[in-house]
Amino acid sequence: MTQSVLSRPEVDAPPPPPTARGGRRRRGQGVAYLFLSPWIVGAALLTIGPMVASLYLSFTDYDLFEAPTWIGVENYVTMFTGDERFWHAAWTTTKYVLISVPLKLGLALAVAMLLNRARKGVGLYRSAFYAPSLLGASVSVALAWRAMFSTDGTVDRVLSSIGLDLGGWVDQPQYALLTLVALAAWQFGAPMVIFLAGLKQVPRELYEAAAIDGAGPARRFLSVTLPMLSPVILFNLVLETIHAFQAFTGAFVVSSGRGGPSDSTLLYPLYLYQRGFTDFRMGYASAMAWVLLAVVAILTALVFRSARRWVFYAGEDR
Amino acid sequence: MGRVSRRGAAGLLVGLLSLTAALSGCGAESADGPVTLRFVWWGNEDRAKATRAAVEEFQKRNPDIKVETEYSGYDAYFQKLSTQVAGGAGPDLLQLDRATVGEYAGRKVLADLGEHTGKDLELDKIPANLLEGGKVDGRQYAVAAGATTQMLIFDPTHFEAAGVTVPTAPGEKWTWAQFAEAMGKVGAAGQVAGTTDFGWAVDWFEVWLHQHGKSLYTPDGKLGFTADELAEYWAMIGTMRAGKGVSPAEVTTKMDGSVQNSGIVTRQAASEIGYDSAVTGYFGAFGPNLELAPLPSDVAESGMAAMPPVSFAVSQRSKHKAAAVKLLDFLVNDPEAGRLLGASRGVPPNEEIRAQVCSSAEGGSKAVCDYEVAQRDKIGPAFGAWPTGSSAIKRDFQRTYDDVIFNRVSVADAAKRVVQDAEQSLGS
Repeated sequence: MTQSVLSRPEVDAPPPPPTARGGRRRRGQGVAYLFLSPWIVGAALLTIGPMVASLYLSFTDYDLFEAPTWIGVENYVTMFTGDERFWHAAWTTTKYVLISVPLKLGLALAVAMLLNRARKGVGLYRSAFYAPSLLGASVSVALAWRAMFSTDGTVDRVLSSIGLDLGGWVDQPQYALLTLVALAAWQFGAPMVIFLAGLKQVPRELYEAAAIDGAGPARRFLSVTLPMLSPVILFNLVLETIHAFQAFTGAFVVSSGRGGPSDSTLLYPLYLYQRGFTDFRMGYASAMAWVLLAVVAILTALVFRSARRWVFYAGEDR
Repeated sequence: MGRVSRRGAAGLLVGLLSLTAALSGCGAESADGPVTLRFVWWGNEDRAKATRAAVEEFQKRNPDIKVETEYSGYDAYFQKLSTQVAGGAGPDLLQLDRATVGEYAGRKVLADLGEHTGKDLELDKIPANLLEGGKVDGRQYAVAAGATTQMLIFDPTHFEAAGVTVPTAPGEKWTWAQFAEAMGKVGAAGQVAGTTDFGWAVDWFEVWLHQHGKSLYTPDGKLGFTADELAEYWAMIGTMRAGKGVSPAEVTTKMDGSVQNSGIVTRQAASEIGYDSAVTGYFGAFGPNLELAPLPSDVAESGMAAMPPVSFAVSQRSKHKAAAVKLLDFLVNDPEAGRLLGASRGVPPNEEIRAQVCSSAEGGSKAVCDYEVAQRDKIGPAFGAWPTGSSAIKRDFQRTYDDVIFNRVSVADAAKRVVQDAEQSLGS
């Protein structure tokens, strides 16, 4: 049953402790909270507090400098009915998520399967392929990306040398989003490591049995690897989708914060940022943040729902 | 038992340590003793060097005032500034431009300098038309950091190679048709475009409007132009683009007003329209082989104006307003400061100091002084201040122009959209 596997494994309750041990246990909890306190304080002050504040601000007209004034749902109404760029940004982000997430997961799985074989120096390769996702979120890599894909940059020169004279990708509206997709896909390291761990869990004997039954590599991949890996795929899919919706740094750096050329890299979080910090409409930006949260939450719920149809847990009947 | 308490003690220690670490960030402010000011601006290396030298001199004379300086590019500057001001960590003395003086004054971020004027802030030597740019609703919120005017900066080698002469002598002028023809010739002759596409910046459209008896904004802060006028202007540039007179879309989309990204410095255009306050920056980034010419005009008026390229303002929330005003006064009125700053923000606003600085200027500063002298008779009175909402308009203008150059929208529709967006920005 899916449900029981997803829920936390039941640990056998310890036998009712004698009074002395009970006291010790409570004290132990105190220590636990003490150790947790930096996180609890941080979460309350830096995450929950600002979230509550932003929910309030989303119903106000707030320009960052003067006190906010209550305007009810006006921000939300404007967003859905009177803001073309909002819809444009939403659509751009949708395209970005739909292309970058499958590409990234596909790459991650492919590389994980290559690295899953025992070979000399495989540890080195694993680290090497993981490195981009450590660097990927950083500004410097995005800057390098912009230089590589600009007019007369490395990519432009290599492509022109083989007769593909496309010009700089970041400078043209029809390609600019692709550079962001490529930047995201290149950071496949984190899901790759998780896939790698998943692949190690697939019992060898399943492959052996399949091979004896005459299954070729493709068949083994489709009938053994994919089903056995489906819980890991679900995990990566959810995580990467949420990530992709929040993509900001790459778009910000590549377009110098403008979302250009011609608004082609105006991802939703970037537009939100522009509204808040360059248009001084923080109330509106807060409303946008809550809409994004709601959309991501609904999509995640839908993915989990669909998981019943395609995620297979070992020990389950098919 | 003993083990537990040891663990408890360790936990307590960790908790306390993290709490101390969290708290030590705040509460470093002390009222007495030497005052520390924060002074921020945007600009190029040369401006930073000159400004730091002037600040150094100020600190030498005022040992009880310490000045921390910070500078960055234009976009980054305003992103940081708005966040810092909103978070209560804003600077004491800051640099603003025409679009942002109104924006920040209107949102009550700037101190009214009226109460200091004539006491610890001397404004007599600064021409009234320059001071006008720092006024919002009749109050002086900012002081011109210099005087600048529009210009065409060009690399003469490309123009000589194409056999084109540019009118640089006093009294010489050219029409838009001559300008377009010259740029087309340069573009056809060489590897680079004649000039950087200038349709993206609302500033140069303003000059064109003035030549047509119009303005960007009316004195009461309304929009001063129609969609038809903008469409006519953009269509004129569109014709130039078709003939390589102006830079292609991929180059133009990267323009952000900074010197290092400009068409000239990236070697993608032979000339560029700009403010002469940027000349020292161009000289620093490109080299001294550049000359200046006036903007074209079809009528007697040049459409150009003397205006503050940037202004200095004091934050309303500054804890050390008096010290900040003192630094401001030093920067605009002190002869030594004037010498050190040169023309890094246009020619000095104080006319006495300007004469002094220009008499001994060299390099980029000399080019600016010479140009200002040559064009003196053509430079009109300052344009009015820009209203609140104008920085959003400036951005929307450029964004919409991107759609035009990438052929995503017709010039007429784009112009309509700019007018619509602008009216919304002015209304909010």
